[in-house]
Amino acid sequence: MNPVTTPLRPADLADLRAAVLDTSGPIAISGAGTAADWAGALGPVGAVLDTTGLTGVITHNPGDMTVSVRAGTPLRSLTDELAPHGQHVSFDAARVADGATVGGLLATADAGPSALVYGSLRDLVIGVTLVLADGTIAHSGGHVIKNVAGFDLAKVVHGSYGTLAVVAEVVLRLHPVPQATATLAVDCLLADAAERARRVLGSPCEPVALEWVGANAVEGRLLVRIEGTEDATPARAERVAELVGSASRDGSWDAHADLVRGTPSAAVLRLGVLPSRLPDLLGSLPGVRGIAAGLGTGVATVSLDPSGVADAHALVHAAGGTSVLRARPAGAGLPGWGPPPSALAVLKAVKTSLDPQGRFGPGRFDPWM
Amino acid sequence: MTVDQAIGSSVRQEFERALDPRDVISDPVQCRAYECDGLTGYRVTPQLVLLPRDAAQVAAAVRVCAAHGVPFVARGAGTGLSGGALPVADGVVISLARLKRVLEVDPVNRRAVVEPGVTNLEITAAAAPHGLYYAPDPSSQQVCTIGGNVAENSGGAHCLKYGFTSHHVLAMEVVLPDGSTVTLGSPTGEQLGPDLRGVFLGSEGTLGITTSITVKLLRTPETVRTLLADFPSVRAAGDVVSDIVAAGIVPAAVEMMDTLAIEAAEQAVHAGYTVGVPAALVVELDGPIEECDGQFAQVKAICEAHGCTRLHIAGSPEERAAIWRGRKAAFAAVGRISPDYFVQDGVVPRTRLAEVLDRIAELGRDAGMRVANVFHAGDGNLHPLVLFNAAAGETERAETLSGAIAELCVEFGGSLSGEHGIGTDKACSMPTMFDDDDLDVMRRVRDAFDPAGICNPGKVLPTPRLCGERPGRYQPHPLEESGVIERL
Repeated sequence: MNPVTTPLRPADLADLRAAVLDTSGPIAISGAGTAADWAGALGPVGAVLDTTGLTGVITHNPGDMTVSVRAGTPLRSLTDELAPHGQHVSFDAARVADGATVGGLLATADAGPSALVYGSLRDLVIGVTLVLADGTIAHSGGHVIKNVAGFDLAKVVHGSYGTLAVVAEVVLRLHPVPQATATLAVDCLLADAAERARRVLGSPCEPVALEWVGANAVEGRLLVRIEGTEDATPARAERVAELVGSASRDGSWDAHADLVRGTPSAAVLRLGVLPSRLPDLLGSLPGVRGIAAGLGTGVATVSLDPSGVADAHALVHAAGGTSVLRARPAGAGLPGWGPPPSALAVLKAVKTSLDPQGRFGPGRFDPWM
Repeated sequence: MTVDQAIGSSVRQEFERALDPRDVISDPVQCRAYECDGLTGYRVTPQLVLLPRDAAQVAAAVRVCAAHGVPFVARGAGTGLSGGALPVADGVVISLARLKRVLEVDPVNRRAVVEPGVTNLEITAAAAPHGLYYAPDPSSQQVCTIGGNVAENSGGAHCLKYGFTSHHVLAMEVVLPDGSTVTLGSPTGEQLGPDLRGVFLGSEGTLGITTSITVKLLRTPETVRTLLADFPSVRAAGDVVSDIVAAGIVPAAVEMMDTLAIEAAEQAVHAGYTVGVPAALVVELDGPIEECDGQFAQVKAICEAHGCTRLHIAGSPEERAAIWRGRKAAFAAVGRISPDYFVQDGVVPRTRLAEVLDRIAELGRDAGMRVANVFHAGDGNLHPLVLFNAAAGETERAETLSGAIAELCVEFGGSLSGEHGIGTDKACSMPTMFDDDDLDVMRRVRDAFDPAGICNPGKVLPTPRLCGERPGRYQPHPLEESGVIERL
């Protein structure tokens, strides 16, 4: 981060707009700081716009299973508030437990293992309120889950890393909290895990998450989570156990979350590739220190020796996939991105159209734009 | 305006070189076959209709459009219900009807790559031998194309549980309005920067033309349980839906029909619905057997607790198909009880369904017109059918009533459209749902893709030409900016 002035910490939408208008020049948008160094390194800014003062539920409609929140609300606080209603946001990225905000999770396009069924926030957000660099406040969507009126501005900011607009408010679709969950865990080699994963995915068991964790691309542990009713879950767990082989019934996801977070001395790369190509790709990456791999989604979070990041980006690209750098050792000058997407010209045009002066999040898409 | 005035013969020849000359239709009589989509009240004959045979020809055709500023409108099967594929008078229609190959079915990665002219149901047909299917199922799925589904972000009866087109499309190859070809999305849910894939989905053909689409395929559920239940009132049926949701059950589908819709459907397809009952619900659950059976028993109990007068459980795939035939035929079936009708597509928060239906009935009474209701009760997506007789001069009154119903949905905190799109039909209603700044930012996003404004112009966002002059965003006069004049 830059040595900058005291962060601006607006308490409501009007304050937020005023903060954007009262400043000039480049601004960093920050949330809980759980992904402060993700993607390209932030360039010089004159101000930091801290969104953690924008908290709280605006409207929760339990019968409609929708909720609108201010974007600085930590998702875990929202989870607590919704729990008495038996509802939650079906989203389990590791950093939710660290206090990540709804707006931050949206801006960084984060997702956890249950993306296998529920997708990432782009699939759960049904409305958004944005503040542009020129102070324009814009909404799209609303409190209904089915809605095709107008352009979907939530998608514009999903994965924008704070470069296009400040996310002020978010409307989310909710799901019932499952009565029961069970995780089957079995120690196995990656290649073997991929075969077992195929069996589970080809069966009618409907796993909600299916990941393999390991310290390297050889030995590790397969985790399969199912969720459902109290009555049905034990029988379903038995069926999954038969498919994956001898397995414990109460597997823990802590090791998975730790691998996704990484360690201070490692670089953490998030990558996605066709699921069938994932095991070989992971096996080819240099300096691997830890892997959490979605065998159904094709999305993996890999801890690497920092010296291997540039090569890893190139290898993922060559395999037809996508990659972005997440955490990195403090101060390490590592490439945030690999080769640019074919639609780079459109990305640039969207940036120019929404933030013509280039105020928000300089450097996040370095060297593309 | 004649052909030669709007698109000169030299430009036409460029199109003929870009495609095969036989694939460029300029005969106005033949062009008239493309004058409207499923919303037949709006008709415009295009200058030319282009029938490219592959992605390269689509790109070549768009490059000619871009070079000469010729507006173009992409068209799939023409089943859209909002005038999204309405041609532009001085432009061309680019039909994707010939791009209809299933390029790949990949059972290991559970996805398929298809061209835009492939129908929704053909994807499932191609996937079925692998025990897989494509989830979004608009009622028109036998004929509507995946390219059109992408443009509209189509839903269907099962989207409460499984989501919309946007949830099932991973990536698309897109010809942008400048004629360049890019890929939006990726092989996974990950993305390189903002979700341009998601912006494109549901943009109603205003940001470019898809030439191939990578969709997710789901494993066919182990079991499906379907019931048809009659209720003494729409309110009782609505309460059943609320209780199902409150019980933490996410049904695959919950559909409601009112007495007029039931009457029409029954006349048309004899699906076994009870004529004369005030409301019928179709509830479907699917998933692993243990899960499904337990929850289905709960659903039956909830129906009975709310005074269900008849509970018919599909005992075979044929019986299930019959129940769905009745539901899916409802739109067209209304033709049996009325010479003409408009299909509306508003959305309201589900908990306000009963209230909104009362208000719709009131509006209908005031207008002296019958309104039949068929809707996706699980997600609050209403399809009121306004029945009228054009020959008796009722068209305008019906149109007004239909528009009032859509705006009523917005008043109740809902949306103008759940799945049919804004298109031409509702562009002028957009200011009831969005303010000038919202629309301005949407326009800025659109301009980033199509700075020349040639890609399906006049759709989605209101324009002065379409909707009359409205006070727009304040623009300082150049003399004002330079300090020569002052605005007081």
